Amino acid sequence: MSQTSPYYLQKLITVGLFFLFLSSNLFAADEVKTIEMANSTDIDIRIFSAKGDKLLIGFACDQGSSKAEEETSKALAKDGVEVWMPDMLSAYMLPKVRSSLSDIPTDSLIKIIEEAQKTNKNIYLVASGPDTELILRAAQTWESTHKDKQLGGAILMFPRLNKTKPEPGKAPNYQDIVGKTKLPIMVLEGERTPNRWGIQHLTHALKKGGSTVYAKLIPDVRGYFFKRNDPNVPEDLVTSQMSGLIKASLFYLGKAHQ
Amino acid sequence: MKVSISIKKVLLASLLSIYSLSSLNAAELKKVESEIKTPSLKLETLDGKSLDLKDELGKVVLVQFWATYCTPCRVEMPSMNKLIKKLEADKVPFKIIAVNMGETKAEVQKFVDAVKPEFTILLDSKGENVQAWNVFAAPSNFVIDTKGKIRYTLYGGVEWDSEEITKAIKDLAKESS
Repeated sequence: MSQTSPYYLQKLITVGLFFLFLSSNLFAADEVKTIEMANSTDIDIRIFSAKGDKLLIGFACDQGSSKAEEETSKALAKDGVEVWMPDMLSAYMLPKVRSSLSDIPTDSLIKIIEEAQKTNKNIYLVASGPDTELILRAAQTWESTHKDKQLGGAILMFPRLNKTKPEPGKAPNYQDIVGKTKLPIMVLEGERTPNRWGIQHLTHALKKGGSTVYAKLIPDVRGYFFKRNDPNVPEDLVTSQMSGLIKASLFYLGKAHQ
Repeated sequence: MKVSISIKKVLLASLLSIYSLSSLNAAELKKVESEIKTPSLKLETLDGKSLDLKDELGKVVLVQFWATYCTPCRVEMPSMNKLIKKLEADKVPFKIIAVNMGETKAEVQKFVDAVKPEFTILLDSKGENVQAWNVFAAPSNFVIDTKGKIRYTLYGGVEWDSEEITKAIKDLAKESS
């Protein structure tokens, strides 16, 4: 029988699908937990379990479906940091666009944090780009409703918190939520993005709520480097070391409480 | 029911994306209503000479802050070359000064060799002028009149040789004549 026969092709497709099935995102995490919200919306959370005392929640990701996020989560879990990746967008049937953020209810973010608190670990939040608005919103509400249970801190990766288009010669106009939380914050920004010039200004604005704010520029990388289709050598390298970057950020955020 | 809501949201998102793309293309000069004091600008050019903005009084000057990694900057530079030629033909005193935001000379040179801007490139390797000019995004543009006053700003990529922009610059030049 020739190797190009229909039987051979069928066998090849079956084997291929089997491996695809094995490598699917659903099975890469230790567990998928479903939390039911008050309005009967179900939110699925990929959990990368770990035995350490830190738990990192990523908002508003799609369960960490990108390879870089998944690899980072696995590496963090291996090093003792538990990672929760809630799929907020699918839960509320929202497209991956900036305008979706305002449709994600703060209550649902709080419910996820409450669920995470049950592990008795220190809770940290992480988000990138415009999604960083969500964790500032969650942090502010948490502080006003859970005064006895402090969060560990937040990592804002390449925060895009402008309310309006930049205007040359004028200071940026940030979202109303900026500067409304006391949560310790680490801002990570790529060196090769125009936003690096606003980092000092943003840091100052974030501090207005009483936060301790650290800001670090990552040399030679562009914004969203871990999601790019055209990464350069430094971007590939930093992506592969992202768990280390996050662990270092958690260390500094922990120091803010001392 | 849930599916139809989802389709509606996706359609709405697509429409919003189209709208935001069209508004990017519609970036236009913004008249400066409340005066912005023109900061000083004295830097080294890519070919090692010194340039001081105050020596350019008497010309309309476009000061642009740009970076090699900024896609709109790369796309719009040919139209800036065309604008220079257009205004030269009409004997309009005009100059473009493009300030690179904090990159190395080698990086800028590589970009210049590829894109071939026909105007002055300044190097602000420490980003001191970027901060003095309150620039937080690229490309950020300032159109300065013949007396050294900022008259227009513009953020984002644009076709610089458009009729509207050419007329605005000619009108500024006429004010001093």
